[in-house]
Amino acid sequence: MRKLMIAALAPALIGGTMSAALAGETLDRVMKNKVLVEVTDQAYPPFSYIDESGEVVGLDVDIAKEIAKRLGVEYKVETPSWEIIVAGNWHGRWDICVCSMTPTSERAQVLDFVNEYYAAPANIVVNVDNNDIKAATDLTGKKVGAQAGTTYEKYLLKELSIEKAAPIEFPFGDLTTVPYDSEDTAFQDLALGTGKRLDAVVSGYLTAKERVDKNPDKFKIVGEPLYGEPIWVAVDKGDPEWQAKIKEIFKAMEADGTLKAISEKWVGADITSKQM
Amino acid sequence: MNARSKKLSEPLDDETAIDGKIGERIVPPPVFPRGATIGFELRVIAVWVTLLVLFVLFFLSFGLKFEIIFNRFPNLAGLKLTKDGFIQGAALTLFVCFFSIIASIILGLLSALGRLSTSSLLYGISTFYTSFFRGTPLLVQIFLIYLGLPQLGPVPDAIPAGIIALSLNYGAYLSEIFRSGIISVPIGQREAGASLGLPPWVVMWTIVLPQATRIVIPPTGSQFIAMLKDSSLISVMGVWEIMFLAQSFGRSSYRYIEMLTTAAAIYWLLASGFEIIQARLEVKFGKCYKKAH
Repeated sequence: MRKLMIAALAPALIGGTMSAALAGETLDRVMKNKVLVEVTDQAYPPFSYIDESGEVVGLDVDIAKEIAKRLGVEYKVETPSWEIIVAGNWHGRWDICVCSMTPTSERAQVLDFVNEYYAAPANIVVNVDNNDIKAATDLTGKKVGAQAGTTYEKYLLKELSIEKAAPIEFPFGDLTTVPYDSEDTAFQDLALGTGKRLDAVVSGYLTAKERVDKNPDKFKIVGEPLYGEPIWVAVDKGDPEWQAKIKEIFKAMEADGTLKAISEKWVGADITSKQM
Repeated sequence: MNARSKKLSEPLDDETAIDGKIGERIVPPPVFPRGATIGFELRVIAVWVTLLVLFVLFFLSFGLKFEIIFNRFPNLAGLKLTKDGFIQGAALTLFVCFFSIIASIILGLLSALGRLSTSSLLYGISTFYTSFFRGTPLLVQIFLIYLGLPQLGPVPDAIPAGIIALSLNYGAYLSEIFRSGIISVPIGQREAGASLGLPPWVVMWTIVLPQATRIVIPPTGSQFIAMLKDSSLISVMGVWEIMFLAQSFGRSSYRYIEMLTTAAAIYWLLASGFEIIQARLEVKFGKCYKKAH
């Protein structure tokens, strides 16, 4: 009799826990472990980088910390390589990626994008000695560097399409795209002089600006922004409850001015997007 | 003479009698004759110092900004804990290498014995293992363990995944080094052990392996120095070891060369430490050959 009861109860129990696990798995984990684990890039100032005291800081980090605070949980950050982050299949290692990610179609297949939190233009950077390149059309026939796996590389390959945004134009002919493991190496090569290894680098405006400001004798930003890059919060696939919670928190952070304050603290202007 | 009263690993004096007079071993002439020079060591030191000075001058020609090196050095050298209170930099590199060295020695030894065994199963497992882990890039193995294992169920953290990858990879290389050490011990040593009625594992453990150890120490030391530097590959998983910090700091401060130079210096110092340990072990396990070399 007992055995029968267990046999009858077992499917109900398993079914019950399984559906609970599917709905709100991440939210459950965060609330149970009392810790929000953010995954972000190790060196993308001023959004996320390791400061002099050895702490991960930046605009993205401050936003994630604020989310943890509003959930009433501890905050923890991990910094694997970008390829690992965008590969998806996090298997519960990380809960949220407030990591300046652009929602490309490929990434949307392995990650869920929750909400846009800021928009950043992409620009062309050249060596100060360069006077030929003034706009995207001038890139034809040139050697142009970009970090591998980024939207900038996809743009140069004319393969970029951003989810939930207008199609992008590519107003240049054939050029040589030079992918780099890190943008630093690309800029080191650009600093050698025009045409030595590179003629230009395509990069995000905000990070490029900081670099140009620090090395005004080496680089300059030219032309109009190539395209506007919406930046979204990313999470692992399949947890609508968790996404709803994140959206709710972002709306609250927008309403009380927290988002604006964080943005002004790190980039000196409000670049945050309107929360839908 | 009672053979058992002597330490089994030491060659008996009578054996060497083949080479020359009893109790005396033949000393091979040095490859580069030193002649009658005085102060050979002193001159070596002079060469080292000169090369080192030239090397430092080469680095100084980069126009390094030393402020940032001094600022970040405590982090890279592992003298400071992270904000979470965990070890980082050189301390973490040594931590990972310590466990990987132990695990790779065990794996290498088991695999070498499997390769030398008459069992087709053990031989097959051992050769498959060494073939795969020597034949694929360490970086690929790291990704397979970190991203591949979760597909099967277990979700390893970055540091254990790194230790597993380094151990498996270096175990495969050590396997062949250990095998070469074992087969270089003259067969007569084993026959002698067997004739004394010792069981095979006693012969292996107390006669063959101690003599093989002396032979495998230099190549094994080289492997561990290589492991020390290859451990930088686990930075892709966000492990805050030397290379991770050097790249992160270098990127965010736009001072890449400074940080890479600092990392190089730290790796070199650590590797020098490994070299000293290797030299000590060589002396320890080469005691019975001291007269000759």
